[in-house]
Order: sequence, then structure tokens, then C-alpha cells
Amino acid sequence: MNRTSLRILALCAAAASLLFVFALSVPSATAQTPADWNRLSAEKSLGSPNAPIKIDVFSDYECPACDRFYEGTLRPLIDDYVASGKVYLVHHDFPLPMHKYSREAARWANAAARIGHFEAVDRALYDNQGAWTENGTLDGSMEKFVQAALTPAEFKRVERLMQGCISDSHQEIKGCAVDAEIQHDIAAGQLIPVTQTPTFIVSAHGQSYPPAAGVISWPLMKQFLDKLLGQK
Amino acid sequence: MTPSSRWSAGRILLLIGRLALAVVFLAAAYGKLRPQSAVPWSLASLKITPASLGLSMTFFAMQVDSYQLLPPRAVSPFAHALPWIELALGVLLLAGFALRYVSLASTLLLALFYAVVIRSYALGLTINCGCFGPNEKLDAWTLVRDGLLFALGIAVTIAAFIVHRRSHPALNSHPEQAMQP
Repeated sequence: MNRTSLRILALCAAAASLLFVFALSVPSATAQTPADWNRLSAEKSLGSPNAPIKIDVFSDYECPACDRFYEGTLRPLIDDYVASGKVYLVHHDFPLPMHKYSREAARWANAAARIGHFEAVDRALYDNQGAWTENGTLDGSMEKFVQAALTPAEFKRVERLMQGCISDSHQEIKGCAVDAEIQHDIAAGQLIPVTQTPTFIVSAHGQSYPPAAGVISWPLMKQFLDKLLGQK
Repeated sequence: MTPSSRWSAGRILLLIGRLALAVVFLAAAYGKLRPQSAVPWSLASLKITPASLGLSMTFFAMQVDSYQLLPPRAVSPFAHALPWIELALGVLLLAGFALRYVSLASTLLLALFYAVVIRSYALGLTINCGCFGPNEKLDAWTLVRDGLLFALGIAVTIAAFIVHRRSHPALNSHPEQAMQP
């Protein structure tokens, strides 16, 4: 074998490894377009749908990282960018089977969303995550925090919607009025595919960015949003 | 196999290893610098423009932040520098320039990546790796892949030093030995 053929062989090996590396980095499925999510529950969204940036968050009420992400990043985002009309924040439930009471918590949040009080219950569930993850609704702790976030009349309405929904089962309950919405979110997440929580997808200027996962601190998220807002 | 054919086989293996490592670094840099799109490898996501560059690097900074390793103030400078370092290493490896030092630097960087990935996996962080671009879950396969790349880096570095030593025997022997025919 002469030197030239050896060089060709080496270049072929380099090209093959390039293809291998690209194959590794391509996700197994393509992400959904934001238009597909418009039909998902608007009741679990915060801010104006006409905001220049939309953020879809897939989270699990019992996941500790979701709690940190909510308290450290989403709270300042809601108070600042959502309140000022820059960001439209859409919550999607993605309860992981490893978290016993996460689906139950999602049912409470969806019931509250049905009567237009998603934000208060969403906040109450995350603020008290440590207190209800032990027993869920077995000792009424989860229910207690939902109740505290609502007026007695509102809680009564939520309770009515929750009839037939109190269960730590991760299976869809036929008689539960709010389970279909959770199932819808899970199906949307699986299409993306969401494999971990929290996962969020930013869309702006008609373009969606790849899903980002994990706890991103507020200064970094703000930097990215400011860059997007600065783009024409 | 004669010593001379063993010698050329060693040089060829070094060439292949060096080019493979170069490709890995170039792919990693390109994955971070190209426009970040939800639809991977669409035509729009392949072309790098000045406007897309700043956004891509800020997006990458969020991925670096998800490792929860650096203080927020240090994340952005690190994330903005890393793709360019990877690009430089890739180009230098491809050119074979100062191979011993470049391969050593590459291996040290791969060792750092490997350590960070092991730490994140051990902590159970559910994040994206960000190694070759977005939407790449950090899992057991990432550990295997980064381990193999680290091993490749070590092999290339050792081979680069051996080849250099054999190509320049005078540099490594005593003066009187070097003068012998």
C-alpha cells in the first residue's frame, strides 16, 4: 500500500467518524411545532398570547429540580417578563411515574385551571412541595395547601371537579374530569420528546429553539430572553 | 512484521486517531455555534450568521448553567470561549501542528468533560449534555462515549510523543550517542 492510498484511507476514517459523531448528536425525533400546542389548555398559561416570546414548560410537581426551577427562575420570569407582556408562559404537566403523588398534584392544578385559578394553585404546590410529597392526599396535606390558595367558594368548585380524581395512580382515571388534559400534555411531551423534567421550549419570531432541560438560573435565562427581544 | 512496517503502521494509526479527534472537536464546536433550531439539521439551522452566533452561544450558556457547576457570572464567559477553543483544537489537530502539545491540551479538555459528565450523572442531574449541540440527554451512553473519546485522546497523545521521540533520536540521547552513525 503506497502513501497516497494510506492517506485516502485515513481521510475515509475521518469522514466515517464525522458521520458517527453527527449521528450521535441528532435527536431521535423532531420537535413539535408551536402551532400544535395551541390547542393545549390555554387555562394553564400566564401572560399575553401576543407576547413576542413563548415558553412552554414541561414539569412535574414532585420533582425537586422543577421546584428549584420554579422558585429560582420562573418566579422572577413571571413577576418581570410575563407581567410586562414580553413572555407568554405555558405550563404542561409531565408527571413522572417515579414520583408517587405528582399526577395527583397535577389533577389539583388542572382543576384550579378550569376555574381560572391555575397560577395560585401552581404556586402553592411548588411552595409547599416538601410538605406534601410525603403523603400526598393521604393525610390531606396537598388538599390543605390548595385550599389555602383559594377562597372557600373557589375551593368548593375545585373540589367538585376533583370528584373521582383523588388517587395516587398514574393511570388515566375515566371518571376524572381533568385527567384528559394531563394526558394531552403527556402525549405532547412524548412527541417532542421530553425525557426529563423540567424541560422548556422557547419560541420567538416564528422559530422554536431546541428543548432545554434542567435548572437554568434566572440571570442566564434573562440573558437569552434579552438577546431574543433585541433581535428584529 | 518488520520494525519498519510496524513503525509506518504506528504512524498511520496516529494519523487516523488525530483526524478522528479533530473531527470530534470540529463537530462539537459546530454543534454549539450553528443556529439552534427545534428542527435539527434543517437548512436554516446549518448556516451560521453573526446574528445567530450570539444567540447560539447564549443558548449554550444555559446548557452550561444546567450543570450547576459554575457561578452564574462565570458561566457566560466559559460558554462563549469553549466553542472557539474546540474549533482551534480541531483545526490544529487536522493540520498536525505542534501535535504533542495540541493532543495533550485536547486530552486535558476531554478529561475535564469526562469528569464533569461523571459528576452530573452521579448527582442524578436530568439535563442535556450540550456536548455536540442541543437536545442530547446526558445518560449512561454519554459516559461511555466521553470515556472512549478520553481514551482516544490519551492514545493520540502518547503516540504523538513516541513518534516525535523516534523521529528525533538526537534530541533524546546523550551527545556522544547521537554522534554515532
